Amino acid sequence: MDELLAVVGYKVRSSDMAEVAQKLEQLEEAMGNARDGISQLSNDTVHFNPADISNWLETMINNLDVPPPPHPPLPQQHSGKAIYTTAAATADSLSPSSKRVKPSPAESSSSTRPLVLVDSQENGIRLVHTLMACAEAVHQNNLSLAEALVKQIGFLAVSQVGAMRKVATYFAEALARRIYGLYPENPIHHSFSDMLQIHFYETCPYLKFAHFTANQAILEAFQGKNRVHVIDFSMNQGMQWPALMQALALRPGGPPAFRLTGIGPPAADNSDHLQEVGWKLAQLAETIHVEFEYRGFVANSLADLDASMLELRPSETEAVAVNSVFELHKLLARPGAVEKVLSVVRQIRPEIVTVVEQEANHNGPGFLDRFTESLHYYSTMFDSLEGSVNSQDKVMSEVYLGKQICNVVACEGVDRVERHETLGQWRTRFGSAGFTPVHLGSNAFKQASMLLALFAGGDGYRVEENNGCLMLGWHTRPLIATSAWQLATKSVVAH
Amino acid sequence: MKRPIPGDGDGDLLKMKKVKVDGDADADAEENCVLRGMRYFDDNVLFEVLKHADARTLAMASCVNKQWHKTAQDERLWELICTKQWANTGCGEEQLRSVVLALGGFRRLHSLYLRPLSKPYSSSSSSSSSSSSPTSSSVWGPISQAPVAPRPKPLPPRLGKDAVHLSLSLLSIRFYEKMSNFNNRSR
Repeated sequence: MDELLAVVGYKVRSSDMAEVAQKLEQLEEAMGNARDGISQLSNDTVHFNPADISNWLETMINNLDVPPPPHPPLPQQHSGKAIYTTAAATADSLSPSSKRVKPSPAESSSSTRPLVLVDSQENGIRLVHTLMACAEAVHQNNLSLAEALVKQIGFLAVSQVGAMRKVATYFAEALARRIYGLYPENPIHHSFSDMLQIHFYETCPYLKFAHFTANQAILEAFQGKNRVHVIDFSMNQGMQWPALMQALALRPGGPPAFRLTGIGPPAADNSDHLQEVGWKLAQLAETIHVEFEYRGFVANSLADLDASMLELRPSETEAVAVNSVFELHKLLARPGAVEKVLSVVRQIRPEIVTVVEQEANHNGPGFLDRFTESLHYYSTMFDSLEGSVNSQDKVMSEVYLGKQICNVVACEGVDRVERHETLGQWRTRFGSAGFTPVHLGSNAFKQASMLLALFAGGDGYRVEENNGCLMLGWHTRPLIATSAWQLATKSVVAH
Repeated sequence: MKRPIPGDGDGDLLKMKKVKVDGDADADAEENCVLRGMRYFDDNVLFEVLKHADARTLAMASCVNKQWHKTAQDERLWELICTKQWANTGCGEEQLRSVVLALGGFRRLHSLYLRPLSKPYSSSSSSSSSSSSPTSSSVWGPISQAPVAPRPKPLPPRLGKDAVHLSLSLLSIRFYEKMSNFNNRSR
């Protein structure tokens, strides 16, 4: 018996599915063509056991006065990967081009799509379908159905291998949390989340790409300046700054004085890890003879910052850059926050603002759209991790991504901080906040490409240029985007 | 670039040469004498010779014996190897030297980053065999690297500025990571 239909109350043998689908179409056609009406179907025909669709359909068809024309033989089965599509999904099916559509008995009369066969043997496809069906059930607040489907996902996921299995497991967990109301998760210790990010940094090139491309833009903006100041919204372990400091140290004519203001969330155990990071960077600076100054700022949200707190010096003496890697989207959880932060950035009067964000729309108003988008996005991400050599790093990276998945799917309101938006959306936002784009140069592109060439574990990574911004993706899907901005009122200085 | 010779004076070397001349005419014995002579090979001479070696030879040389190992590890030799390959980085020699030595040295820079970047289309450290170059869909086109000449001892291709900067950045990141590990352990 087919499990999915069984959940909704119909009994169909898995081997009969194709036949049933075809009969449904025949019936629909016949009903449409019947000239004398179809009332005899309800008044005169005797039906037994409507749950047994196959026989029920037989009865219906035989009782129509005009037998329907015979259908052409079933089309060839399609095979293919389930995940790589960007078309918007409808409620119970994914993009038809490389997909199989499962006709649901209740809606067959409204279906005008050509019949495509579901091969019940392919659990991978069923897994995706079940995920989508569960998401829809959640969306319609049909929690009992959702619960049943979530359990199904668990079974189907175990039958898979590789990326699909892991993605499905994380999404299933997230759905379960949403169904049972188990959100938000307990906040994890910062040293654990730090460690996860370090492993993510090592396993795949996304963070490295982000840092390298942002640094290149900052370097170019700092050309000719003697005192420079970077305000980092995404301090974490400070992994971005050794490379920038080294590049400044090797500047023809000697390094400028380098000041760094690091901003981060408070640590759960009250340890001052921002200061520790600053100390490490100071040591590095001393080794390479760069004059270094550091200030660490603890803030629950970037929106709590004011320009006055940052002890800015007059812009004639100090050039400022603002850097944000995967931090700005979190502000979208609170209305007005991102506007406030951008206005503070404007007050800082930076030479350049570098922004790296996930290239996806996980902030749409509808849950189902968000679910579908994130399913595709994270499937691609997990696929790109598959090639990595170090299995411990890989597992940690998956946990790191899994936490994001959980947030996108299970949380709502202020708790849902992983509100990713696309480059296009950020462009609009920055544009209306009074910034103009700064084009990233070809050397950033070349360095990024070379970085990927060096990177073990996959030649599926692609660097793309998009109107002055750089995007890193896996095969055809861009996953993160780096962009750079300056104040609109700034006069264009010839480089 | 003379360095003080530990122990062996010039006099000893001359003595050895004399011994060789007076030695057996026997083919084996002659070979033995030459080999014995090699043991007292002057460090300076070795250094001067290795200055002309390419990276692979230099690396192999460090596996011969203790003396060769000590000499072949010399940062100045590796600095020569690195800078021979480079396009002009723009900064002064002294500046470059102090930064690179502080961050881990030229030998590490070469083996970890410059060498893999010189042959981007062969699987160097990765298990994946990427036979196709990373493609790009932008106006700047694919990265052009000078192809390695198919001679038995190919000259290392000149690395562009971007490759050099990338290598230096990666070296600094590695240095910083090692620093962090040390701090974690000491806690």
